[in-house]
Amino acid sequence: MPQLDFSVFPSQLFWLCISFFTMLFLMSKIIIPKIAEMINLRKEKIDDYLDSAADFKARSEQALENYHRALKEATDEANLSLQKTKQEMKNLIERKQAELNEELSRQIKEGEQQIRDSKAKAMKQVDAMTEDLAAEIIRKLGFNLSKAEISKAAAVVEKE
Amino acid sequence: MSNPMEQFVIKPLVPLEVGGVDISFTNSALFMVLAVAVSTLLLGVCLRKRSIVPTVAQSIPETLYEFISGLLKENVGVEGLKYFPFIFTLFLFVAFGNLLGLFPYAFTWTSHLTAVGSLSLIALLFNVMIGIKKKKLGWLRTFLPRGIPLALAPLIVPIEMISFLSKPFSLTVRLVANMTVGHIMLKIIAGFVVALGVAGIVPVLFNSAIVCFEIFIALLQAFIYTVLSCIYLGDAIHEH
Repeated sequence: MPQLDFSVFPSQLFWLCISFFTMLFLMSKIIIPKIAEMINLRKEKIDDYLDSAADFKARSEQALENYHRALKEATDEANLSLQKTKQEMKNLIERKQAELNEELSRQIKEGEQQIRDSKAKAMKQVDAMTEDLAAEIIRKLGFNLSKAEISKAAAVVEKE
Repeated sequence: MSNPMEQFVIKPLVPLEVGGVDISFTNSALFMVLAVAVSTLLLGVCLRKRSIVPTVAQSIPETLYEFISGLLKENVGVEGLKYFPFIFTLFLFVAFGNLLGLFPYAFTWTSHLTAVGSLSLIALLFNVMIGIKKKKLGWLRTFLPRGIPLALAPLIVPIEMISFLSKPFSLTVRLVANMTVGHIMLKIIAGFVVALGVAGIVPVLFNSAIVCFEIFIALLQAFIYTVLSCIYLGDAIHEH
């Protein structure tokens, strides 16, 4: 079997060392750096892209948060202003109502006073008319009484 | 029918002798040099046009790169990536030695004990150097693992030494045996082609199938050789 011929060992070892170490040199100095360069470049680029993607994501989240905050602020402000306006309206209504009530009660009071005055005036006129009527009747009956006497008698009758 | 062992005979092409030692440039040496040249040229051509988005040609060396670095990470750990060029070269050298040997009239140096033995020897020395550089004198612990009572040393040390030296030996024998058997089989079956005349188509078809299988074996054995080298490298670096 030629494989077991050890006389060729020095030659085999010599040429194997030469070819193997030449190849090791070629691979480590030329081929591997060429391969590694591209692979590393690609990895860097992918990492870059992933980084910027993460950055964009963070930024969009920030923007969304800002939007939510702005929306909340606006809503709060609107609510506040609505509340204020409502309160103002309520106050205004209450004030107007109070004024109106006051006016009405004053008018009622005035009306009542007027009624009372008119009534007193009417009563006074009724008294005078009664006296005049009584004086006419008395005169027609043939009595002659002074105006003062008739008033006195009328006052007595009214008391009774 | 020609002798199926004839293909393994080493013939000197350029006789060379230095200090009484015969270091002739043989057909075996030629195919070692060819393995270097072809693998380097192929990868060089594949890497001629490179871009971030890999071209089809570029993806071949890159896949190889990822494959070997994955192998190293798995078997040695991340610190094993320092020795990437060595393992990468080892794989390509053996793979191309196997593959080029499959061409008709080619010589398969990976079927020679002396050649593969030399390669395993280089790998062994590489491991020893790394081990000594990494652990200094602690490297001698390889032969007497921690926790073994000193009294057992006379028994354990020879056993560990045998296991240490048997690693490159088993590497060598596995590769050589696989390559030898495959080539002998191809040759014997090829011998039937002419002898059978028209029916020779049968061994031709059979041989075609075997060649496909041998391509697979060539890559598989290169892979196994590399994986085991990685594992031995891991042993050299880590405590065990």
